[in-house]
Amino acid sequence: MDFTTFVKPSNGGATESNDTSKLQFWKHVKYIENHGKQEDDYEYCMTEFLRMSGIFWGVTALDIMGQLDRLDRKSIIEFVKRCQCPSSGGFAPCEGHDPHMLYTLSAIQVLATYDALDEIDCDAVVRFVVGLQQPDGSFFGDKWGEVDNRFSFCAVATLTLLKRMEQTIDVEKAVKFVMSCCNQTDGGFGSKPGAESHAGLIYCCVGFLSLTQRLHLLDVDKLGWWLCERQLPSGGLNGRPEKLPDVCYSWWVLSSLTIMGRLHWISSEKLQQFILSCQDTETGGFSDRTGNMPDIFHTLFGIGGLSLLGHSGLKVINPTLCMPQYIIDRLGIQPQMVNQA
Amino acid sequence: MHGRVKVRTTEEERERKKKEQVLKMRAYRAAMTRIQKKRSLSELDDEMLGLTVQILLRNPDINTLWNIRRECVLRKIAELEKTIKENETRDIQKVEEHSEGDKKTDDEKEVDKKEVLAQQLQSIYKTELELTEQCLMVNPKSYNSWHHRCWTLEQNPEADWQREVQLCNKYLKYDERNFHTWDYRRYVSEKASVPPEQELDFCTDKIKVNFSNYSSWHHRSLLLPTLYPNEQQDRPMSEHKLKEELEMVLTAAFTDPNDSSAWFYQRWLLGSGRQSEQSATVAAFRCWPYKAQLSLKSSYPELSQLTVQLVSEQQTLQLQPWKAVNSEKTQWQCEQVIEIEPSRDYFLDVAGQRKQLAVNPNDQSLYYFVPPHATSSCSKELLAELQTQLQSCLDLLEYEPDSKWTLLTSALLMRAIDVNSYHEQSLSHLAKLVQVDALRQGYYKDLSARWTMEMALAKWPTSSNYPQLFEMPTEMSMTPYAHYLIVADKISS
Repeated sequence: MDFTTFVKPSNGGATESNDTSKLQFWKHVKYIENHGKQEDDYEYCMTEFLRMSGIFWGVTALDIMGQLDRLDRKSIIEFVKRCQCPSSGGFAPCEGHDPHMLYTLSAIQVLATYDALDEIDCDAVVRFVVGLQQPDGSFFGDKWGEVDNRFSFCAVATLTLLKRMEQTIDVEKAVKFVMSCCNQTDGGFGSKPGAESHAGLIYCCVGFLSLTQRLHLLDVDKLGWWLCERQLPSGGLNGRPEKLPDVCYSWWVLSSLTIMGRLHWISSEKLQQFILSCQDTETGGFSDRTGNMPDIFHTLFGIGGLSLLGHSGLKVINPTLCMPQYIIDRLGIQPQMVNQA
Repeated sequence: MHGRVKVRTTEEERERKKKEQVLKMRAYRAAMTRIQKKRSLSELDDEMLGLTVQILLRNPDINTLWNIRRECVLRKIAELEKTIKENETRDIQKVEEHSEGDKKTDDEKEVDKKEVLAQQLQSIYKTELELTEQCLMVNPKSYNSWHHRCWTLEQNPEADWQREVQLCNKYLKYDERNFHTWDYRRYVSEKASVPPEQELDFCTDKIKVNFSNYSSWHHRSLLLPTLYPNEQQDRPMSEHKLKEELEMVLTAAFTDPNDSSAWFYQRWLLGSGRQSEQSATVAAFRCWPYKAQLSLKSSYPELSQLTVQLVSEQQTLQLQPWKAVNSEKTQWQCEQVIEIEPSRDYFLDVAGQRKQLAVNPNDQSLYYFVPPHATSSCSKELLAELQTQLQSCLDLLEYEPDSKWTLLTSALLMRAIDVNSYHEQSLSHLAKLVQVDALRQGYYKDLSARWTMEMALAKWPTSSNYPQLFEMPTEMSMTPYAHYLIVADKISS
């Protein structure tokens, strides 16, 4: 299964210059549309183990750009449906692979975007997620026992989108576990108790607290300071002290600061410049850093970051769920945000 | 998908690479097809293990292949255990059958057999450990490889945890910031019962090699509060140790003042330590005949779970239920009829904390207010160290007036020494930071507002307008501590 069957015939785009100070809108649309079109694309083949997330990244980026109709809704939904494991209820990244929490969230996000949650067995998904919660409140990624706060986020995000958070998992215990991973030094979070703070994991935990309406548990001033210190002179954000900037970390930090009402603690202007500098002006798509190879993952977080910064021509994105806000509104979900003090 | 530089290649090179990739892809697809076929037939054998190795060595992130290996391993262990059990049953039968004479030689044979089986079992684990090591060489940040290693060790009752600690030492030499390795280190050193003192020494050594190691400072911050606890909990560790740490970290910070790692640690040291999560400390309270308002120092999830009482000599009134007024859950309100007799003495009791209430002369409401206090008091020795540090920072600023971290840290040191006398000077540092570190000007402005408000609130009870009127300080970019102002009738700007 590849992306080929998802793509509607393209209607072309306007010619654009190779200027990285402007958003190369149509090149990105083309880049995502063409993703996986060549059947013998090596990268595409070797990343099938995360295909479901790949589809989520592509679908969401196109939707933010108002171009969702370039993909074929029906075949994507059919693909997602084929990936639901009949026994566990979880979703695999693609056929022939095992179900996992990560791809279960991606599948639910894609279906929610297409307003197609009624096409699958949602009770089975809930059973899958509930079954992975441990006595200490943490979550396994699958039955093989890896524990990580990423999975706590996936669990509550999946249940929120399905509107099944009440009376399924033990929310209090889940919160307790996440908070047991909060570091006293910087107010941040790692993947498990004692783990060093890391912007990606901070996004997961801040997002988790936003979905469980527990943002008051954060030390917003301490964590916000550590997060705004991620911005480097290039304008890009890194994930930990003394590391290189990266478009995806820019998203994790930016969305966390937005949820915490502290977006004004970094320079939006400089960050926008950095994200735009990571565009590939030849092929379209965004890379992790200026001058590197683009990929679909960084393309979503580039577009998503620009949307959070209020770039024109893009739909508003929800910082907690990384999905277009209109879908979150349609579902009637309200992830918590801290008011700007 | 990180850090791959886009390079220009010739047509020829591109063709060659393409051919190579087509071959790799064919091999991948053939192996995956075979694996899936075998799995559907439940053929969890050596061929299966071999097939997964081929792919995992190139791409250790394919979770499903590790799952298949685990299925194979469990199958093998089950088979071995079955053989061991069968042997044991046979042993008992043999003992019963044979006479005393030839028993000894049989025993020896059985011991050998048992040993062989035990070795076979260990070699299954060893294969998995070796594979994860090879995969970690390919990708040291592969979540799946690390997890498979943990899983394998957990299966083996005779796992050599000490060896794993050594492995961490080796890996941290390649990359001292790999958080996977540090996480793994915490996990295996607990299993191997490594004493925390020894871990602290390891940290010190690592930091001495390279000060710019946030991971190591972090690891240190986990160990110290347990090794050197602070009784009052108002500091991260005992004052004696704190003084030592301050000395060490400042040396590190001055070695390269542009490196942030040590400065973050320094700020943590100057902070107030772990806040007790469960306590609800009263910041301000006010009650009228028809409602009560209560503000807490920090947020509390559900005030109605606590016993809140209005106590006078004549009666005790339960105040219930409470509703949060703000999303931070620091300000609460209870709508209830409350009989107030201004001539009486009233106390507020929140889960055992008792506060004496005063009467607002304006409307006869009862109130309590305590300003947020910025710093904890410290011993003479610690104070002396803070003063020395401040002087060193100020000296450095003579030469490098725009040094961001020195500006910030000296402002923090000033406030730790004496908030009142250094108030203006610490604010001037923030004003300077707005210029030299413009990316974060929003942060410095908010921090400045916070400090200004803390000072205004601290001075308020001595003002002639207290508690009716609170005069808002000028040039505030935000209004922190707004929930403390429930006591005021009027707020002027």
